[in-house]
This record gives sequence, structure tokens and C-alpha cells, in this order.
Amino acid sequence: MTLASAGKPRASRLALSGRAALAALLLVAAVCAGAAIGETSIPLPVIAKALANRIFAAGYPLDAIDEGIVWNYRLTRAIVAACCGAALAVSGVVLQALLRNALADPYILGISAGASTGAVTVAITGLGAGAISLSLGAFAGAVLAFLLVAVLARAAGGGVSVQATGQIILAGIAGSQLFNALTSFIITKSANAEQARGIMFWLLGNLSGVRWHDVRLAVPVAILGVAVCIWHRRALDAFTFGSDSAASLGIPVRQVQILLVGTSALMTAVMVSMVGSIGFVGLVIPHATRFLVGVRHARLLPASALMGSVFLVGADIASRTAIDGQVLPIGVITALVGAPGFALILIRGRRGR
Amino acid sequence: MMLSCHDLGWSARGTPIVRDVSLAIREGETFGLVGPNGSGKSTLLRLMAGLLEPSQGGVRLKGASLASMPRRSVAQALAFVEQHAESGERITVRDAVELGRTAWLSPLQPWTAGDDAIVARALGDADMTGMEARFWHTLSGGERQRVHLARALAQQPEILLLDEPTNHLDIQHQLAILGLVRQLPITTVIALHDLNQALGCDRLGVMHGGRLVALGPPDEVLTVPVLRDIFGVAASFLIDPADGSRIIRFHPAS
Ligand SMILES: Nc1ncnc2c1ncn2[C@@H]1O[C@H](COP(=O)(O)OP(=O)(O)OP(=O)(O)O)[C@@H](O)[C@H]1O
Ligand SMILES: [Mg+2]
Repeated sequence: MTLASAGKPRASRLALSGRAALAALLLVAAVCAGAAIGETSIPLPVIAKALANRIFAAGYPLDAIDEGIVWNYRLTRAIVAACCGAALAVSGVVLQALLRNALADPYILGISAGASTGAVTVAITGLGAGAISLSLGAFAGAVLAFLLVAVLARAAGGGVSVQATGQIILAGIAGSQLFNALTSFIITKSANAEQARGIMFWLLGNLSGVRWHDVRLAVPVAILGVAVCIWHRRALDAFTFGSDSAASLGIPVRQVQILLVGTSALMTAVMVSMVGSIGFVGLVIPHATRFLVGVRHARLLPASALMGSVFLVGADIASRTAIDGQVLPIGVITALVGAPGFALILIRGRRGR
Repeated sequence: MMLSCHDLGWSARGTPIVRDVSLAIREGETFGLVGPNGSGKSTLLRLMAGLLEPSQGGVRLKGASLASMPRRSVAQALAFVEQHAESGERITVRDAVELGRTAWLSPLQPWTAGDDAIVARALGDADMTGMEARFWHTLSGGERQRVHLARALAQQPEILLLDEPTNHLDIQHQLAILGLVRQLPITTVIALHDLNQALGCDRLGVMHGGRLVALGPPDEVLTVPVLRDIFGVAASFLIDPADGSRIIRFHPAS
């Protein structure tokens, strides 16, 4: 971090495109690894041929089962994991900047819990079917949860933007508990045994159900969401000394807050509606990335998106291979890595100030 | 008329904090705001910066209503240095000063060498050259204040609003910053507690209980009755033999 921010790394166009290419390469490599590694290890040439068959109709003779596993099962999950990691990490960066709170992330602020409640409500009442209505339900829940948490924090005297930022975290914990309880209530009251088992499995963070229609929703949402946040990179920088300071630097504070919190909520909601709520990614990845590239959002946002994607693809691989013959919920892996990371942030945070 | 307030007022939960302030800041002048603690100086400055919404009256910036201007245009004309502004981020001095360019850059516009030059000049003016790579949390209070000033200068404003910019500075930097502000071709409104330093402003406004109770050249405004009634001190005026200027010596009110 010292290296990155102490010097004056004004990337020239060339260096910039070089970095973008490197990032894309890393992402593709991670997704390929996701497709290659699993219970039955499939060699890379087979992966390449399977992809060529599906994308370019290359017509290599392949085992249909292998090709199916790669194309329908592993590739989709790797792509969705990558989108999910990027979306959650960028949401974390944005919430931390806007709330000026190192502990803010969609999970802690109750946004993920609200999204779960929304998605479960839609799933059980059957208000329309399909991924879109599930995502819309999740989005409504996510926004509702954030509003509730913000109002609660303000009523507790913290406000969303002032120094007494402990309140928003406490309010977030209260909000998470409330929405998780609501979710359990809805499941217990309305779901049949079959539905309940499926939903519980999904709630813990699960990528097994992911198929191509999920990819078609996750990819545009992640790309658009991350792009909106990067578009506002200078505005996010301007919040460094608080929202008054941002306003005097020329930022339309309310407008930017609503747009960016809304974007984070939307990204979180869409991801939660597909894979359940996954903790720690939005919290730990931004801090790890700050450590590597510094605090300026022009670098922090794209780097966090990349780190988040690669991390979650890795976590998914680990969740499938850690125990023979069994798939762990991905949330278990992120928590195993995230909890120590979280402890580190707390310790470093105390020393830093 | 650069910046003007008419019948300006602001209340917090029904309690008026600033009321009936009418004031016109002239182009190029250094305007001092003085008054006891809690008299409404910071609130008035925040109203003039457009950070608070007036509950009464309004502010005009270069003829246009401040409330109806986009924040970006306001920031290109007016910079504000708050009394307190802290950050827990591990940002460097250079990062903090570069924030001043925000209003001049659009999302698609890259940072240019011109911006670098402006930032370097602002750092120089605030005497922070050579400390660019220092982290914010390692700076002393006075150094932080100078970084805030440098950020405001990097904004290249026509009007600079400063809320007690010298309260953490050593005497040399106090004089340097006040001298700089007076000599820059910028209109400045500055809240001050040191009344002897306030004597160096072109005009002064005295705040008391949220009202502007006196307005005019320092010699006419800072009189013995004003110092007694508003600041609660007795005072005698001395002449500095070095240059013949007036200084005030304060005594406890008897
Ligand atoms: N948001 C608020 N809610 C309630 N009271 C407020 C609020 N903001 C300011 N005040 C009160 O208004 C009065 C004026 O405050 P202000 O900060 O403008 O004073 P000041 O002249 O800048 O004082 P100082 O010299 O101490 O900086 C104070 O009594 C303060 O307590
Ligand atoms: Mg004040």
C-alpha cells in the first residue's frame, strides 16, 4: 500500500490497458480453473474442446457427460461465482466509502438478509415465477432492509453520515436479525417440507442450482453495477472527509448516495436471489485490496471486483473439493477465510487511528 | 457582488441559530467573521457554502440563487474549509489535495499534467511541499489544517470560505496563511477568534446570538463598547511603533 500510494502511479494509457488485459486473463484463468477442478478432475484440453464445441461448434468428439458437466454445471457456477464476488466486493467498497465505516458491507448492514426475505417471500407465495421476479423480490427486500437500518441508525443519533458510525453497524445487526427471523417465520409458516429443505440449503450460500439463465442475469447486473460505481470513482473519493466535504467538492451528495446505495442493493439482491447470502466477501475483500492498491477508488474498485471474483471462484472450488463426495455451502468457506480477516481489520483499525 | 445573503436564517428544531443576516461580500475583499463561541459563525459559513438549507431568506452566488445551482458549478466558484474535517482512511497528503480537482474533472476526463501543476502550487502555497507522501493520520493538527487549505486552493475557487483556518497553526504559519489569503486574488470570508488578526481584514462582521450586529472596517467595528458588550472584555488600543498600526490589548471585564 505504501508503495502504491506513496509514489505517483499515473498509469499511462498503455499501462492501463496492460493492467486490464492482465485482469481479464486472471479472471478467465480462474473461471477455467473452476470448470476444470472438481470431484472428477477433467483435464484442461477436454475443457478447451468442450468450450470450443459449445461456442464455435467445433465438433470435437467428446464424452457427452464430461462436456455436459463442464458446460452446464461447472462453467455456469464459476461464472456466477465470479459475478457474485465482484458484485459483493464492490458493494462493500461503496458502502464503506459512503458510510465512512470500515465495517460496512451488504451482509452486516442487513441488505443480504432483507434480500433473502424478499426472495423467499416471492418463492413461497409464487408471485410470478422465474429468476427475474425472484430478483425483484430480493431487491425490494434489500432496499427495505437498508432503509430500515438507516432510519434506525438515525433515530439512535448516529445518522448515516456523521462520525458516530457505530450506530449504523448496531442497527445493521438488529436489521439482519429481524429479517433472518422473518425469513424463518415465512418458511416455517408457509413452506412445505420439500420447499423448506431447498430454501434452507440455498440460504447458506449455494451455487449448485445455478444454470445458464442465472448467468444471463448475473453477468449484465455485475458488469453494469461495477461500471456505475467506477463511473462515480471520484465522487466516492470525495467522501473521504465526510458528506459535507463531498458537497463542497461539488458532489450532489443525496443523489450520489441514493444511486450508489441503490446499485449496491440491486447487485446484492440479484446475487442473493441466485446463490443465497454469502458473508465476509464484501467486508474482507475491499480491505485486502486497499492493502494492495491503496484507497483511491479509481484503482480500488476494479481491483476489488477482480479480487472478489477470483476469491469466490476459489472458494467455490474449495467448497466442492474440501470434503470428498460432499459439497459444502460456499458461505462456510468464505466465513472460514473471512472471520480471521475480519479480526485482522479490527486490530489494524484500532492501530491506524 | 460575489456572494450575498438576504434575511438569511436557519433554525435547528425550532430554535433559531442564525437570523436576519443580510450581507454582501465584495469582489476581492477579505471579510472577517468574528464573535464569541456559539454565536453562529460556522453556521453562517455553512449556509453561505450551500451545505445547509436556509429556513429563511437565501444566498446568491455571483447573482444566481445558490440553492438552485448544481453542486458542481458551486464548487467551481466556491471552496469551503470546515472547522473540523477528519478521515480514518489511509490517504496521503497528495491524495487529500487532489480531491480539490473533483469539481473540474468529469468521469471520462483523465487526470492531466495541468492538474498536477495546480496541486503542486496549492501544496506550495500551504507550505506542505515535500510532505506529499505522508499519511493523513501521521500529520499534526496544524499540518492537517494546511492540507485542507491546500485542497481548497486546488479547487481554484473565486471565493474561499475558511472556518478558523489558523486555530492549530504556529504563529509563523498563522501569519503566512493570513498573508497568503489577503494577497491571493480571491474573495475570502474567514471566521477568526484572534481579534488582532481580524484587524488585518478589509471588513469585519460581528456575530452575536445568531445575528450580524456590526459590519464595517475593523477600526470602526472593533470599538471599546462592542468588545465590552459582545466579547465581554475590556480593551485598550495601542500603537505599534514599528509601523504605526493599532493593536488591541485585552483585560478581564471588571
Ligand atoms: N445542528 C444543530 N443543532 C442544534 N444546535 C446547533 C446545531 N448547529 C449549531 N448549533 C448551535 O448553534 C450555535 C451556533 O453554532 P456555530 O457552530 O455556528 O457557532 P460558532 O460561532 O462557529 O462557534 P465557535 O466559535 O465555537 O466555532 C451553537 O450554540 C450551537 O450549539
Ligand atoms: Mg465555529
